[in-house]
Amino acid sequence: MSKIMEWVDARLPVTELIKSQATEYPTPKNLNYWWNFGSLALLVLIIMIATGLFLAMHYKADANQAFDVVEHIMRDVNYGWLLRYLHANGASFFFMVVYIHILRGMYYGSYRKPREILWWFGIILFFMMMGTAFMGYVLPWGQMSYWGAAVITNLMSAIPVVGEDLVVWVWGGFSVGDPTLNRFFALHFLLPLVIFGVVILHLWALHAVHSNNPVGIDLHDKKDSLPFHPYYTIKDLYGYGVFMIVFCAFVFYAPNFFLEPDNYIPANPMQTPAHIVPEWYFLPFYAILRSIDFLGSFSKLAGVIAMAGAIAILFILPFLDRSPVRSFRYRPLSRQLFWIFVIDCFFLGWVGYNPADAAVFDGALPLIVVGRTCTAIYFGYFFLLWVITAFDIEKHTPVPKSI
Amino acid sequence: MNCTNVVGFYLFARRVGGALCSAVTLFLVVALLAAMLLPGALQASEGQVLPPRQHWSFTGMFGQFDNGALKRGAQVAVQSCMACHSIKYIKFDQLRQLGLNEVEVKALAESQGRTKKDAMISAMDAAAAKESFGVVPPDLSLITKARKGYEDYTYGILTGYASEGDLALANRVMADGKVSGEEAREVASALQLDQRHPDKMAEVLKRMMAGENFNRYFPGHFFAMPQPLADGAVAYADGTENSKVQLARDVVTFLAWAAEPTQMERKALGIKVILFLVILTIMLYAVKRRIWARVH
Repeated sequence: MSKIMEWVDARLPVTELIKSQATEYPTPKNLNYWWNFGSLALLVLIIMIATGLFLAMHYKADANQAFDVVEHIMRDVNYGWLLRYLHANGASFFFMVVYIHILRGMYYGSYRKPREILWWFGIILFFMMMGTAFMGYVLPWGQMSYWGAAVITNLMSAIPVVGEDLVVWVWGGFSVGDPTLNRFFALHFLLPLVIFGVVILHLWALHAVHSNNPVGIDLHDKKDSLPFHPYYTIKDLYGYGVFMIVFCAFVFYAPNFFLEPDNYIPANPMQTPAHIVPEWYFLPFYAILRSIDFLGSFSKLAGVIAMAGAIAILFILPFLDRSPVRSFRYRPLSRQLFWIFVIDCFFLGWVGYNPADAAVFDGALPLIVVGRTCTAIYFGYFFLLWVITAFDIEKHTPVPKSI
Repeated sequence: MNCTNVVGFYLFARRVGGALCSAVTLFLVVALLAAMLLPGALQASEGQVLPPRQHWSFTGMFGQFDNGALKRGAQVAVQSCMACHSIKYIKFDQLRQLGLNEVEVKALAESQGRTKKDAMISAMDAAAAKESFGVVPPDLSLITKARKGYEDYTYGILTGYASEGDLALANRVMADGKVSGEEAREVASALQLDQRHPDKMAEVLKRMMAGENFNRYFPGHFFAMPQPLADGAVAYADGTENSKVQLARDVVTFLAWAAEPTQMERKALGIKVILFLVILTIMLYAVKRRIWARVH
């Protein structure tokens, strides 16, 4: 065996790579359980690609057959129900894991110098994930698939000059239809593989600068690091176990919890559902989109810009945060802003879930007003984080010299 | 930046900022909880009454189908629902999985002019249905999964029509052609509708008197389907009382099965998978503790 490895290593240094990048890769010894979510995201990606591949073997991207074929998978294919429920719930859990992963990065300042490129690859991954999830949701060709696709693709018509033509080009016709379904399937199959590629870039960028840690300081002492194996391999495996228990509880006992009942109604272009809601993981952004309704004919474009901006603003987060300290553990004001931001995201989700014309407290408070306020708070987080750090308003508490 | 005034301002701004942040957080949390939890805080959609929750033997982790109910439900589905609705993802032959025998399955299929190898497609064609009802009756294969409220909603629809008493009340109120505020509240209370909109009652009563199908749980309350079940509408062979409510419970049980015939297989596998994962995770945790003991 060692002879074979010697032969290989002389030609391709596999052992060296495994040693330096996996088994002996130095990792801060003080990482808490929030640092499990990166490897959890990889686990879910693998589950999605594996189940997706087998689903694709049975699926037919045809507007007349797609709905029936999903039911065929559920009823006739051996363990087809398991494949589909793993895949459908996997999408929800993917977003849960990734949202926690992003928020962990925001709390401990993992986007700060020298990890900007690592952070940007992460945002690109998030963008691609949203596109993939959206197109995947269209494939069962239920009412929500169809009308969700119609509403979201229609947003492109807000782009000046080329918008209308662009929408027709994307649809492959004058409405969402069979050509749309076909290309969405092709892209839904392709994008996860691209995501996998960017994940490798994300890991490369990580291994170039190494993990941040809860204290948020650079590690100078070798004693502050542990080899990835066995310390973090076992910790990640334990995390996988806990995750799989929760995930399987939903897959086997509440598989439709995250799904809209309307999507069990076949797509019907002649009948618009009473209210169209995207999947839960898009709701905060959907609320931001709808909250811009006060600019007359510019509202639609402004809403789209606000929605895209809500994610794009993450790109400049490394430059907005000017604090000398990375971790919010030592930044009382940033910490409070952070928790307001998190709660605000839940709020936005709730606003996005309800009909646009709903009202709370017996009609006294239109939901749109709540939506606008929450949108302002969402962007306010980034602005205030800049203000309190750029003008030294925040005084940090003492930061330990070492972990 | 080191002028005393500026520093003083910063210190002041920091304190104010901190207090503001705390206040906003607190406000957000309280408002969120209030908005989500207070009953009636969010107005329900116009004309929608949520069906009450029922107890079903087949829901929950360890829930199992009642085989008697499934068999009776299949009979109700074929002899009553299938006059208009199809259940296209189920073949008659599959009904044997519920414990019906070959002869019974054959009889049910033949009652619809089908053979046992056919899917459960209604004999009424779509064009004729559209002619009579204005809409094509929806396929029922997935009905218990395709509506908010799931089984409870389907049961609610089957049992949510205006009763004889309700109709008598409507007749009495509308005898003088007018609806007073007092009467409107009385009607709203009898029909279990939102009592805050008495002005809407006149419209509801008018449509009821015109013979439209009122249903408490249908969004908007009026739809194309006339009351499908009645006491004694289907003759049961096993001696179970064939009241309307019993027929509804049985057929909903059957439709819940038809919506996902693999669901009991799913639950049975789930227990094994999760038990395995729990034991594996406990072991992984023990190993993790052991390995990390070297560090701590």
